[in-house]
Amino acid sequence: MKDIIVSMENISKSFPGVKALDNVKFELCSGEVMALLGENGAGKSTLMKILSGVYTRDGGRLEIFGKEYGDLTPKQAQEAGVAIIHQELNMCKHLSVAENMFLGRELSGRFALDNAGMEAKAREVLDDLKIDIDPRQTVGDLPVSKQQMVEIAKALSINARILIMDEPTSALTAREIEDLFRIIHKLKDDGCGIVYISHRLEELQHIVDRVTIMRDGQYITSMDFAGTPMDQIITHMVGREIKEKFPRVECEKGKKVFEVKNLNAGRMVRDINFSVYEGEIVGFAGLMGAGRTETTRAIFGADPKESGEIYVDGKEVKIHCPMDAIRNGVVLAPEDRKKDGLCTKLSIRHNLALPNLDMLCNKLGAVSSKKESELCGKAVKNLKIKTPNVEIDSGNLSGGNQQKVVVGKWLARDSRVVIFDEPTRGIDVGAKVEIYNLMNELKQQGIAVMFVSSEMPEVMGIADRIVVMCDGRITGEVMARETTQSEILTLATSFEDKNINSR
Amino acid sequence: MNSNRQSLWKRIMGVRGMGAALTAFVGLVIIYIAFGLINPTVFSGQNILNLLRSMSKYLLIGIAQSYVLITGNIDLSIGTQVGMSAMISATLMTSGISPAVAILVALISCLAVGVINGYLVGKFKLPPFIATLGTMFVTRGIAYMVNGNRNTDAISTGVGKEVADQFQNFFYYGSTLGVYNTFWIAMVVFVIFFFFLSKTRSGRHIYAIGSNIDAAKLSGVNVVMTTTKAYLVSSVCSCIVGLILCAQAGMGNMEAGNMYEMYGVAAGVIGGVSPLGGTGILLGTLAGAAVWQTLENGLNMIGAQVGIQRLVIGIIVVTAVLLDVVVRNGEFGKKKKKQS
Repeated sequence: MKDIIVSMENISKSFPGVKALDNVKFELCSGEVMALLGENGAGKSTLMKILSGVYTRDGGRLEIFGKEYGDLTPKQAQEAGVAIIHQELNMCKHLSVAENMFLGRELSGRFALDNAGMEAKAREVLDDLKIDIDPRQTVGDLPVSKQQMVEIAKALSINARILIMDEPTSALTAREIEDLFRIIHKLKDDGCGIVYISHRLEELQHIVDRVTIMRDGQYITSMDFAGTPMDQIITHMVGREIKEKFPRVECEKGKKVFEVKNLNAGRMVRDINFSVYEGEIVGFAGLMGAGRTETTRAIFGADPKESGEIYVDGKEVKIHCPMDAIRNGVVLAPEDRKKDGLCTKLSIRHNLALPNLDMLCNKLGAVSSKKESELCGKAVKNLKIKTPNVEIDSGNLSGGNQQKVVVGKWLARDSRVVIFDEPTRGIDVGAKVEIYNLMNELKQQGIAVMFVSSEMPEVMGIADRIVVMCDGRITGEVMARETTQSEILTLATSFEDKNINSR
Repeated sequence: MNSNRQSLWKRIMGVRGMGAALTAFVGLVIIYIAFGLINPTVFSGQNILNLLRSMSKYLLIGIAQSYVLITGNIDLSIGTQVGMSAMISATLMTSGISPAVAILVALISCLAVGVINGYLVGKFKLPPFIATLGTMFVTRGIAYMVNGNRNTDAISTGVGKEVADQFQNFFYYGSTLGVYNTFWIAMVVFVIFFFFLSKTRSGRHIYAIGSNIDAAKLSGVNVVMTTTKAYLVSSVCSCIVGLILCAQAGMGNMEAGNMYEMYGVAAGVIGGVSPLGGTGILLGTLAGAAVWQTLENGLNMIGAQVGIQRLVIGIIVVTAVLLDVVVRNGEFGKKKKKQS
């Protein structure tokens, strides 16, 4: 006997400039595991944040256990039995397991907290789940997988009946995933409803009963998982044809400019091999957390590498820090403009000059404002940065123009390799095209362009060759014009076989 | 028997922050014996009594700052609240108002500052450094203004010699069971706030918001109330220190408590309270205050000058935190990595 425990209809939610959810519906029954699938930015997390009261919806109906809710607060959601296991774990790492589990609803005697009581109760819940953790242990000392178990135990100890798990396996090993699945099966048998968000399609078969698919903030379909071929699910996830136009430029492929051999740097960068030729743009596709940003940072020397060789124009270069990379003509326009790309509180002029001060100084080591102005003038003109003058704070520019400043910093130097990490994130369509054109210009000048993007249509539209990464490894390389979105998505989700045993 | 003892030891060491606190105590013993070997007067009964009394002030200041540090914030207005408390109580007493009323008014004034600090930081999300910098200047201004920009006369001119003596003995000069009252006052305050921090719901919440404010909020912790409570504890302790200074001098000094907020940081940090929030116990603060006073006292006894004293304190504070970083390679050293 399965009852509908969550019913959401016509849910809409807008953020400034973006319609995150558009008339979405969602349904969850007791005793089932519902996979919520979709590409990055499809609106899965937003929908679940509405269900757990973190965001308030703009419109639509929301029923939990048959009771309708207006504006749901996190506390109300908790009382209704909804618990979310966050992607980035949300625990007080200085406190103990029991303290975290009872945070905000501590048991107390007449004067003092009832620590023994809380520990006993915590132990009960943990034992019930067959999790071997001492409730007195400090959470920060536990491995991530155990911390996650504690979050689940915490949710259950407040009688959560609806558990939302956002990418719960991303940081777990095969054994730990087995443990997690065992717990999920147990919760299911106890009649809880579980929403399971994951990009690892291959692991769904072990636990999932139904799937709901979203795309671009819209509800696409839901269906039983058993009997549905994976291809069909992927087709639903990808859905759209490439509509936007991408200005591709044809170039003669020249000699090899840039090559990376056997690059290793932690778990997210494992044995990376690729090369870029004159006159081509190499796209890097993959899901969020696939290790692409880590790869770019390791190449640029921003993070330490364990091993690997890097060649520019056939000569091996040693890169230990960003300074080395810049000297050798390898530059990076990082993913997070505001955090890594710009000094937002400095003027455009100062930002453009920052990595080029060595070229702008006169013999006394003072910055020549004449040379600086020349450089800025050139950058503004070449990149068409829309600004009244170069003295205004770069943080006040629009996203697209900020991106141009980030790129402009590097163009004054004779760079051989330009790495773009998500250059079009959060900027409008017009500015995107200008960034594409800029990349094309570089390509025509024979500069190797490495283009990391999570938006598949633009990688396919702009890049000539696409390298696909998944979980820190390169899982495939395809020619942009011969491939399909499904092929890339399949490569992007081909996780290593972790030998998960179902029960 | 043996295993029993072992498990007790294990339980003690299982308390978070105990390691750092005990390390500070060990340091204390070493420093004390070292000075005593150079100058045996350090071991004399009278010196121990003096030491306990002067330590008490720094313990109270340390408690004040530790509470706020554990929430991940800082209180720069501690020293000026001390001054305000001393000036308000002294001014009232010189005009003949009874000490009880004077104490009450001083306390209420400090609590008001605590509430303002708590709301500025907890509710309006001002950076604590700025918010309490503001209240620091305001409270020092008030300390100047209450008696018309000058120090007060002796309090005995207002309330009479007998009452003044009573007040001064209660807070500073008198003894109970052979130890100065100041020490007992500090101990009572210490026990109460030790209990409050380690055994009550509010105390737990203070650790929680210092550790991960978002997680605490999502667990239903009232961040504004909890922040305010920490600042209120800070204000209560500051007020008491103000009264002690007033009793010690027998008058109000406008500059009383200058720099005390920093001494509070030092006492806390030496005892293992993290300036980043979430960790530390008051036992550590006790050890920290004791280390500080033993150093000052010992350096005095061996004839070192004020300059040397300051210099040594500075080195000790940095070394204490450095040890923490090196030993645990904890939160100072680590940088969070971003995912793509």
